[in-house]
Amino acid sequence: MFRFFSKVWSNFREYIVLVIVVLLSLIILSQNQNLQVQKVRAIAFGSFASVSSIISDLFSTTDLKRENRELRETNAKLMLMLSKLRKYGITNDELRNLVQFKDTTAFPLIPASIVSKSLSFVQNSITLNAGSKDSVLAGMPVLNDEGLIGIIQSTAEEFSIAKTLHNVDLKLAVMDERSRINGILKWTGEELIMMNIPSTYDIEAGDRIVTSDISSIVAFPIPVGIVEEFKPDASGVFSYIKIKPFVDLATIDNLFILAVVKSKQVEDLELNFYRQ
Amino acid sequence: MKWKYIFPFIIFFFVYLVQITVVPFIRLAGVIPDLILILLVYYSISRGQLYGTVLGAGYGLLIDLISGNLLGLSMLSKTIAGFVAGYFTGESKKDTNVSTYNFSLIVLLCSIVDTIVFTFFSTFDLQTNILSILFEQALLPSLYTAVVSILFIFYPFRRRMF
Repeated sequence: MFRFFSKVWSNFREYIVLVIVVLLSLIILSQNQNLQVQKVRAIAFGSFASVSSIISDLFSTTDLKRENRELRETNAKLMLMLSKLRKYGITNDELRNLVQFKDTTAFPLIPASIVSKSLSFVQNSITLNAGSKDSVLAGMPVLNDEGLIGIIQSTAEEFSIAKTLHNVDLKLAVMDERSRINGILKWTGEELIMMNIPSTYDIEAGDRIVTSDISSIVAFPIPVGIVEEFKPDASGVFSYIKIKPFVDLATIDNLFILAVVKSKQVEDLELNFYRQ
Repeated sequence: MKWKYIFPFIIFFFVYLVQITVVPFIRLAGVIPDLILILLVYYSISRGQLYGTVLGAGYGLLIDLISGNLLGLSMLSKTIAGFVAGYFTGESKKDTNVSTYNFSLIVLLCSIVDTIVFTFFSTFDLQTNILSILFEQALLPSLYTAVVSILFIFYPFRRRMF
């Protein structure tokens, strides 16, 4: 018996090892939601990110000149927009005082920059140099002046990982800003689409897409992108809506983390309502 | 003896640092080469299929831990890539396969296998079309990786280093 197994091992050991390792990979794949596994990942990427941040800082100095020029231009445009908005803000305050609205516009932003980017087309994620010591929590949106970039997935003490819009595991409730139609945004691996929209609904090319009020992840509307293409799918009942994101994920470097996580109290209340 | 098993992992960290910090600067139309795969193919051919399979698993697991991908995904794809590269080992063949343009062709094949497995399992859908994944997501990055691997053939110190 032992000789038989020994013979099988010596003739087929590469295949046996391949099968064992593949099975192990599939088992590990199935354990991704396990808390212990997530803790180990947080420690691993936190440790590596502290080293890669040093190297990436060295290389990012070459981009500074171009970035400064772009920032000066953006500043000039923002200055013009700001003076217009000041005027609207004064009018807004007067009207709010009249109806006694509560001011909810002060959003805390945590500045961060990208330490490393993942290599994958389909599971794109970024490592940021802000972590739990900066009050970053999983579930916080990541954005810049153009729009939404992604959602924080996990945090270590000084670093965090965010899934970007080009990650197949990130699905967000979004809506058309004009017609207020809601849908689910997802990355197919090739393009960003909004799913499950009946063909009769009012969505046109050029419409702005923002995160939805009913999203369980993002608390309020953040710009996501613009409708590029709108056409019925093979069934003819639902539509295929291709979205062009406002943010160019290939070139982002500096961004902000919005230090707001949707209220658990609100979520529990909503879930309890649907359970009844 | 043990140095033979530890050294590839030490090299991995340096190569991965280059991969995530320097390689994005040589991006072409959003496509970047995979230096880790080139390293894996080299070790599979030089040290055998069994070594390559296990090393692929190790590299893949480290990539998953560090990058935030689904844990086990790169482990699966790199294991299979290392196994496929091991088919080109052999006492008489390995020097030829490592020192000539055969190396780039092997890297191309293994990169296509790696990308297909990775993309298939990360976007699994009953409507997934393998041919679509092959042409749109596997071929370009694999070609770029194969072109970059040509530099490795001309690297004069690889025998001494590895």
